[in-house]
Amino acid sequence: MAASPPPARSTVALELLERFRGLLGPDAVLASDDELMVYECDGYVVEKKAPDVVLFPTSTAEVAEIVKACNEFDVPFVPRGAGTSLAGGCLPVGGGVMIALTRMKRILEVNLQDRYAVVEPGLVNLHLTRHLAGSGYHYAPDPSSQGACTIGGNVATNSGGPHTLKYGVTVNHVLGLEVVMPDGRVVQLGGPTEGLAGYDLVGLFVGSEGTFGICTQVTVRLTRDPDAYRTLLGIFETVSDATQAISGIIAAGIVPAALEMMDQGIVEAVEAAYGFGFPLDAAAVVLIEVDGLEVAVDVEAERIIGLCNEQGAREVRRAESEEQRALLWKCRKQAFGAIGRLSPSYCTQDGVVPRTKLPEILEFIIESGKRHGIRIVNVFHAGDGNIHPILLFDERDEEQVARVFLASDEILGRCIELGGSVTGEHGIGVEKLSFMNRLFTEDDLLVMAGVRKAFNPRSSCSPGKVLPTAGACGMEHIERSHPGKQAAS
Amino acid sequence: MSEGPRSAEGVPEELVPATATELARLLAANSSGPRHPVFPVGGRTAMGFGFGVDPASLELTTSRLNRVIDYPARDMTVTVEAGCRVSELQNQLKPEGQRLPVDVPLAHRATLGGAIASDAAGPRRFGLGTLRDYVIGIRCVTVDGRSFKAGGRVVKNVAGYDLCKLMVGSGGTLAVVTEVTLKLKPLPEASAIGFACFDRGEMVQDLLGDLATSRARPVAIELLGPKAGRQLAAESRQDLPSGPLLVGIGIEGSASEVQWQVEVIDRELRQGGAGAVVWARDDQTAKVWSALTDYQVGVESPVTIRAALRPSRTVEFVVAAIDAGVAVQAHAGSGVVHGHLPDDTLDAATAESVIGPLRELAAEGGGQVIVERCESSWVERLEMWGPRRDDWSLMEAVKREFDPGGLLSPGRGVDGALGHATAAGEGAS
Repeated sequence: MAASPPPARSTVALELLERFRGLLGPDAVLASDDELMVYECDGYVVEKKAPDVVLFPTSTAEVAEIVKACNEFDVPFVPRGAGTSLAGGCLPVGGGVMIALTRMKRILEVNLQDRYAVVEPGLVNLHLTRHLAGSGYHYAPDPSSQGACTIGGNVATNSGGPHTLKYGVTVNHVLGLEVVMPDGRVVQLGGPTEGLAGYDLVGLFVGSEGTFGICTQVTVRLTRDPDAYRTLLGIFETVSDATQAISGIIAAGIVPAALEMMDQGIVEAVEAAYGFGFPLDAAAVVLIEVDGLEVAVDVEAERIIGLCNEQGAREVRRAESEEQRALLWKCRKQAFGAIGRLSPSYCTQDGVVPRTKLPEILEFIIESGKRHGIRIVNVFHAGDGNIHPILLFDERDEEQVARVFLASDEILGRCIELGGSVTGEHGIGVEKLSFMNRLFTEDDLLVMAGVRKAFNPRSSCSPGKVLPTAGACGMEHIERSHPGKQAAS
Repeated sequence: MSEGPRSAEGVPEELVPATATELARLLAANSSGPRHPVFPVGGRTAMGFGFGVDPASLELTTSRLNRVIDYPARDMTVTVEAGCRVSELQNQLKPEGQRLPVDVPLAHRATLGGAIASDAAGPRRFGLGTLRDYVIGIRCVTVDGRSFKAGGRVVKNVAGYDLCKLMVGSGGTLAVVTEVTLKLKPLPEASAIGFACFDRGEMVQDLLGDLATSRARPVAIELLGPKAGRQLAAESRQDLPSGPLLVGIGIEGSASEVQWQVEVIDRELRQGGAGAVVWARDDQTAKVWSALTDYQVGVESPVTIRAALRPSRTVEFVVAAIDAGVAVQAHAGSGVVHGHLPDDTLDAATAESVIGPLRELAAEGGGQVIVERCESSWVERLEMWGPRRDDWSLMEAVKREFDPGGLLSPGRGVDGALGHATAAGEGAS
């Protein structure tokens, strides 16, 4: 059940290119070097590899034909949504065909009675939310990149987002998938009804990072809009007070809709960019949203304010209007866009720790930054224990870059030691392959490789992802020379 | 060593390992030696489910694997061995004000591993989800004795393939679950379940439509036929209204949330045409929740079926099932229906004449009717899972990767559905 090595670099034969042009029309085929350069990486820019061709199918049948042709010519292929992956999930390891699903972006059905919608994979997450506005229902997973990322990409990485604390991540909201299998068959997994007999292949497929096949339709669960919500901003003198307050809220049995932390470094950048009125002298702010019935949200908000005050909060503010709430969320979700003000380059990590270990890991991050002389700022999903330390540096300084790698690896290693994981929502992709052997035993990885083999026996679909090649550390094809700049989570 | 008694042929009838390591060793020994088929069991509450057991199987009992390994209550997670009984786990969580919010039938007997294998769920699946939403880490042993894990102990984690999802509902056909890590939820401060009767299906259909826009957010929406209604009243010792269609609406939350929602739901039920509305509150609800959960396994009937439907097609299906003499309970908000065929279903042909039309009705909306339990000799005729679906071959491929020799729970699950059963075992009755 060993993973087969990624196929060697291949070039797409002229014949295959002609086949694609005939199949899809010339405007759906990109093959010139300057056009392909756009697709040489995703949000993880450390590694670059241009595909040999990028295709833009508009239907399931076209995707299936593309896959069959790739099989015929023994060429690897990789699906791509908006390319916001932060782990190199869309990197065409070994070259080959990139199947860009961005033209498959229709909303095929919305059924409020049965609380589901059927959408194509290239649909932008936020577009579904907008389409549903006013219906009383929404699609719960809300990654910070939701203005750009696609539902298909969310399925591939099992994306999270601030509100997944209460509502769960992508897998908790996907009911069914139409999949073009790596051999070109079209298979329906699950569907709008829950509780079908047999293995939960939908749950297994979500988060498989494109290595099980290409999803061409997604049936998502729709969630009732909350009756009411209250949005709070806790302001703290020390990072430790803030993380203690967060742990205290969870330990008190309160599960807010969202619980997000930003430290002084990121607040400074966000304030400069959006002018919300954040206090610049506070060590950390915590964005807290509670939702539920109108009759209950104030009580819950008061309990949370009490817990924050117990931990020595300087102040807890309430969003007084919908505009203020929207601006607060914009500051959080677009925080990454403001980082350019702090540094020429940055690298975001995605570790997870048990929630009671937040104070410990934040302290470790601060120390690690000092030890390696790297400035690190933090904006993250605190309620889930999902940290996003952002390491700031100048990529022209090679010595500094080396220190960024050391600090990153040290922080993620510490997450493992504290009983956590090296990725909460960004995925393994190619970036974190080297950590798989630290998280899992050889037997764990063999079983996972066996499961992949059931879907993708020749590893032709998204080769070189998720599982390290047997017997190697998984980094053999990676030339980590400069961490570069990464996009938002 | 804790191998069970041996039968005349020298085949151990039951393996009862005390640790996961011993369990792995026993499986490895079997795999490299006699290669008996192996049938993992937990609390024996779902033994009759599916396709019966190959009588030549070795039973592998997980009941001694019952330790709580780590309960960091402030993280709201727990790591526990799979043989732990569900109610015992809940008792350990209660002092911390926490719970695993999944309704497991016969929870005092059922083990976590068994609940995971059978994807046990009940009325609150509508508001609180199912085990797939709570299992965040898992350790298992393959049929040839290799231990593996997936997930971890943190609530958010996308490292590696999510084999937790694969194991939930796998029916003991892929690997033996030895340990799980669960995400927990706070116990609600208050709860209430309101019951009302309706004369006609259309009234219930309209009511459920209105509930979809109610300001209240129930955690359960139940619909029961008269037979199920009578049994529920008896089991839960509640004086419930009796009539053709009994609707139950469950609410949980803080005391003020529950009180407010009781008023809203009470009004909506009456506006929908209910005569009397009977409420079970707080301490009374425990008995009602367990009666609602246990009904799926708590009836001695010749055949038990389960339907998966779109919620909007549930009422129509329930009415058709009642007309066909089936005792029926629906988790109507989720479109999951449990049905017990009448005692006079004396042969497979009679059962088929009841199930066939219901299958057609379910299929119209993309749904499915499966036979959960029946006489072993009826298995083939009744097509337990109904018409073949196109993902079954993929399931078969997954099964082959885990268990190429077909030694683990042979004939169960997708193999049974595809007719690969080695032998039809003991039936349900």
